[in-house]
Amino acid sequence: MKTGQELRAGHVISIDGQPWLIQKAEISRSGRNTAVVKTKLKNLLNGYLTETPYKADDKFEDIVLDRKDVTYSYYADPMYVFVDSDYEQYELTVDELGDMAPYIEDGIDDVCEAVFFDGKVISITPPNSVTREVVYTEPSVRGDTSGKVMKPARLTNGTEIQVSAFVEIGDKIIIDTRTHEYKSRAKD
Amino acid sequence: MNIEIKTWDIFCRVIDNYGDIGVCWRLARQLAREYPFEVRLWVDELDALKQIWPTAQLCGQQYAEKVDVRLWQDDFPSEITSADVVIEAFACNLPESYLIAMKRRVSQPRWFNLEYLSAEDWVEGCHGLTSVHPQLGLKKTFLFPGVTTKTAGLLKEKELLNTSDEFQSNEQTKRVFLQQFGVQVAPDALLISLFGYENHAVASLLEAWMNSPKPIACLVPSGKILPDVSKALSRSLVIGDDVVHGSLQIHVIPFLNQDNYDRLLWACDINFVRGEDSFVRAQWAAKPFVWHIYPQDEDFHMVKLDAFLHRYLNTLDTDTQDSIAELWHQWNRGEDCAEAWNSCLANLQNWQKHGQDWRHHLNSLGDLASNMVHFCQKTL
Repeated sequence: MKTGQELRAGHVISIDGQPWLIQKAEISRSGRNTAVVKTKLKNLLNGYLTETPYKADDKFEDIVLDRKDVTYSYYADPMYVFVDSDYEQYELTVDELGDMAPYIEDGIDDVCEAVFFDGKVISITPPNSVTREVVYTEPSVRGDTSGKVMKPARLTNGTEIQVSAFVEIGDKIIIDTRTHEYKSRAKD
Repeated sequence: MNIEIKTWDIFCRVIDNYGDIGVCWRLARQLAREYPFEVRLWVDELDALKQIWPTAQLCGQQYAEKVDVRLWQDDFPSEITSADVVIEAFACNLPESYLIAMKRRVSQPRWFNLEYLSAEDWVEGCHGLTSVHPQLGLKKTFLFPGVTTKTAGLLKEKELLNTSDEFQSNEQTKRVFLQQFGVQVAPDALLISLFGYENHAVASLLEAWMNSPKPIACLVPSGKILPDVSKALSRSLVIGDDVVHGSLQIHVIPFLNQDNYDRLLWACDINFVRGEDSFVRAQWAAKPFVWHIYPQDEDFHMVKLDAFLHRYLNTLDTDTQDSIAELWHQWNRGEDCAEAWNSCLANLQNWQKHGQDWRHHLNSLGDLASNMVHFCQKTL
């Protein structure tokens, strides 16, 4: 069990039988040496986000989630199929892909982290960076090599992202999946 | 008014002093008197209630002021059904069996955690937010009393301001009120009420008053500050004592019930108050006041004091702001107050006018009980 004042970002707790990820926990001193903990929570089953206060002495069941490395295998409409190192398959809807959704395409070999609750995959976390090919972007702006001027680019799966002005069609780029931001061109 | 809620349960644990019960009893009385509600007040220490409401009995159940007052004991009765609205005052933790009774209801009760009053910014970000009980799934809304539009406001009975204005405009009523305690003061004296926690700063304040060019009459309700007053005057004071030192006349009066304490605040020119309930009443009295805040670990109360001062003083001129803030700081730190007092006295007119302006601002926020009822109706 954890008390309200022990909650920290990254903890997963049970609220009314559902797993909630704590994204932020701020403790404020109330009167007479009591405290209120304001949390930002994400429901790991449906992605619902909420801001919620708790008392410092409220008690929560701590949840330790199982995690496994998986890679994307194939699409079987409407499910995305991932496979682990034992060739166990896991099917997810597009909503369950979460942060991985913008980077899904055939032939990728990114090692993702699958999170399990009650034996079921509830989310897929991509690696911190992935490499993808640009299939369309406007021609480079002459003379600018600073990398500070950005322009839109489209990836193989249709995802749009802002890239440096010197990136060209066919370039492979590295993307930070935590911020969905272009990092650099990938070296061949 | 179309009211679909009828029964209220208010839970109150007395930590110490009279702040917790003071707020809960006032809220219970107001809800029972001004609305067609059945109000039960569960309190774990009836002695504290008896201090602020002397006709209260020390028994398991009684009706007082249309409120069903129950003694909250450790073995909470399992057959009690939950009310339509449940107020958990100051995070007091409801009995397990009562939580289960709440869960058993067909429609969930509206459950409020009524927090302590604070003027800090974070309060606005938490007021009105709802959390789900981790095990039972019951929803609870956090309500914060406060002095801004993004809080629940302060407790204020419907007739409070009219009653206060009538009292303050009638010198005879004031005189009669003071006479019941045997108090007779010079007509030109500055009348001050002194209610607070233990405080070493008393000695410096009394000395400043003794040397004041203007006569000062100080009424001290019996309580925690009295031993410090006795020590400063080198004599043991008891209720009824009336002593004169230089320009200062001190009169010790009994600990007053809530209604009489209001009258005391209205009768005086400046009020020294403490904790939460008397602090709120002093604001409604619209007179200059000095707040002795409930002390917390690591001097955290000073953060709360400054948060209030920031809001309370921000429309005043800099000189008046500085002098009031200095006096409040010295008083709460238990340090020499003489200089700060004299500075405040030089700005007394501004401070007096500000009392009225501040009351006007607070009144524009509505009042805690009405805001709570409105919140219930809105979320039905």
